[in-house]
Amino acid sequence: MTPVATGASVAARVARGAPARPGVTFARALAAEWTKLTSVAAHAWLALGTVVAAAGTAFGLGMFVRPDDGRSGSWVVVSGFVLAQLGFLVLGSLVATSEYTTGTARTTFVAVPRRLPVLGAQVLVTAGAALLTALVALGASYLATTSARAGDAPALDLSVPGTARALLGFVVVSAAVALLGLGLGALLRRPADALVVGVVLVVFGDYVLTMFPGPVADTVRALLPSSGARLLQDDAALAGLDAVTRGPQLGAWGGGAVLAAWVLVLLGAAAYRLRRHDVR
Amino acid sequence: MTATTTTPVPVTTRTASGPTFGRVVASEWTKLASLRSPWWTAAVTVLVSLLITYLSAQASSVDPVFHPLSDVNTGLLLGQLGPLVLGVLVGAGEFRTGAFRSTFTVVPRRWPVLAAQTVVVGGFGLLLGVAVAVAGVLGVVPAAMARDVPVDLGADGTPGVLLGMVLYVAGLALLGFALGALLRRTVPALLTAFVLVLILPIVLMLADDPYGGSMSAADVRVTPLGTIGVLLPGTGGQLMTMPASNGPIDGSPDLGPVGGGLVLAAWVLAFLVAAAVRLRSRDVR
Repeated sequence: MTPVATGASVAARVARGAPARPGVTFARALAAEWTKLTSVAAHAWLALGTVVAAAGTAFGLGMFVRPDDGRSGSWVVVSGFVLAQLGFLVLGSLVATSEYTTGTARTTFVAVPRRLPVLGAQVLVTAGAALLTALVALGASYLATTSARAGDAPALDLSVPGTARALLGFVVVSAAVALLGLGLGALLRRPADALVVGVVLVVFGDYVLTMFPGPVADTVRALLPSSGARLLQDDAALAGLDAVTRGPQLGAWGGGAVLAAWVLVLLGAAAYRLRRHDVR
Repeated sequence: MTATTTTPVPVTTRTASGPTFGRVVASEWTKLASLRSPWWTAAVTVLVSLLITYLSAQASSVDPVFHPLSDVNTGLLLGQLGPLVLGVLVGAGEFRTGAFRSTFTVVPRRWPVLAAQTVVVGGFGLLLGVAVAVAGVLGVVPAAMARDVPVDLGADGTPGVLLGMVLYVAGLALLGFALGALLRRTVPALLTAFVLVLILPIVLMLADDPYGGSMSAADVRVTPLGTIGVLLPGTGGQLMTMPASNGPIDGSPDLGPVGGGLVLAAWVLAFLVAAAVRLRSRDVR
């Protein structure tokens, strides 16, 4: 018969196990999410596709610019956003939902039982990847529209009021759209649902509402996240938009504030669901 | 002890007649109709169409010359998302869940499954289209009653418009289905469908007019942009939902409702053939 273990021998047995490690830190959750993002080939293809979509659309639209139609040089460079934003939306919703579709979420939340650090790390990782992609896309769009700007389209002139904001806005709004997709994905947990809602909120709802111009439709348009794209317009274009709207006039930064509010509310709702509800 | 002598039941191997096409269609219908998501998608589509049509008719009823039935198709602006998503989910669904392994073990020739799914999705799309058309009519009735304008469903081209709405919804469901069956993954198929049907028309509009305002009606020339635009599946198909007397969309050649429908049908057929080729010649995993 083996004697009942004394305190000393219990301690010895514990010491024989794996070396004591600190618990889950945010930095390690962040590193894990970064590995997840960069080790999936589809994400790299998605980023490449987004850059090509931005540059290709800007190139195509640049061919149709006439000297007298009121478009500025910054409009030509950032015009690829209309298509490229889909890539950012998909990136965000994939980061948030792919763990639920594959079932890896169970492993992740066993490793990080407090759960919220995972969402926080996903926000940072998605924002970083989106900012990087958007910068590359902006550079590619600049190069792709060189010939257009040398021809009929106006040159990119930083002294035109609002040009710097338009170029910076391309990068910032792209990242915000990715975070919107992340929030929708983390809230709905299914890629198709997140994508449908996201496309309606970011692109298509605005387009539908332009068909019914009026105070109500214009007010709703101003409050949709799609009004964040106003950051991509220079001052003259914004003045033109504010002149024709029958809803609230958002000015230079109002659209960005609307988009930021949507991102924060959606991420907050996602965090609430993650904390309070079951993960299956 | 009584010894029970049981005569063994002869194991009859019925000479099963194999998977006939009718049975494949029946099983595909069961797969579609026994899920909740198609019915939810259909219900949301009809409700959204009703709501948009109602709002649009209310907005245009202040017009002195108010034709209520000219607003009957406005619900499809947003409602067109429904059949598209529905089709993609059906087309890619089995590949996502893994159920295709059972399906193709039972029907090893594979192509009858695709054909049966096409029939089922087309049928469901037609049903949904009828519901959307009814919702369109119901949506304009309140505004018409408020203005005492009669709603005459037999008048100038309205039957054609309603039929076009039914066919457009069914065509979009088939387009989404063909993309889903071709790409076999929900997200890429959904993305492609959205770009083709929803986003590219917006891009082309931006090329014409930078800030998405009103288009210049005076420009009646056929432009390259207009031609590309009308050859897209969504824009082409939408011609079916407009009376022929409307004439062509600005800058595009005059295809008429039938020509527009053929554009959508050609896209559907091209994706379906590609899906069939992939199904026959490539592995399913």
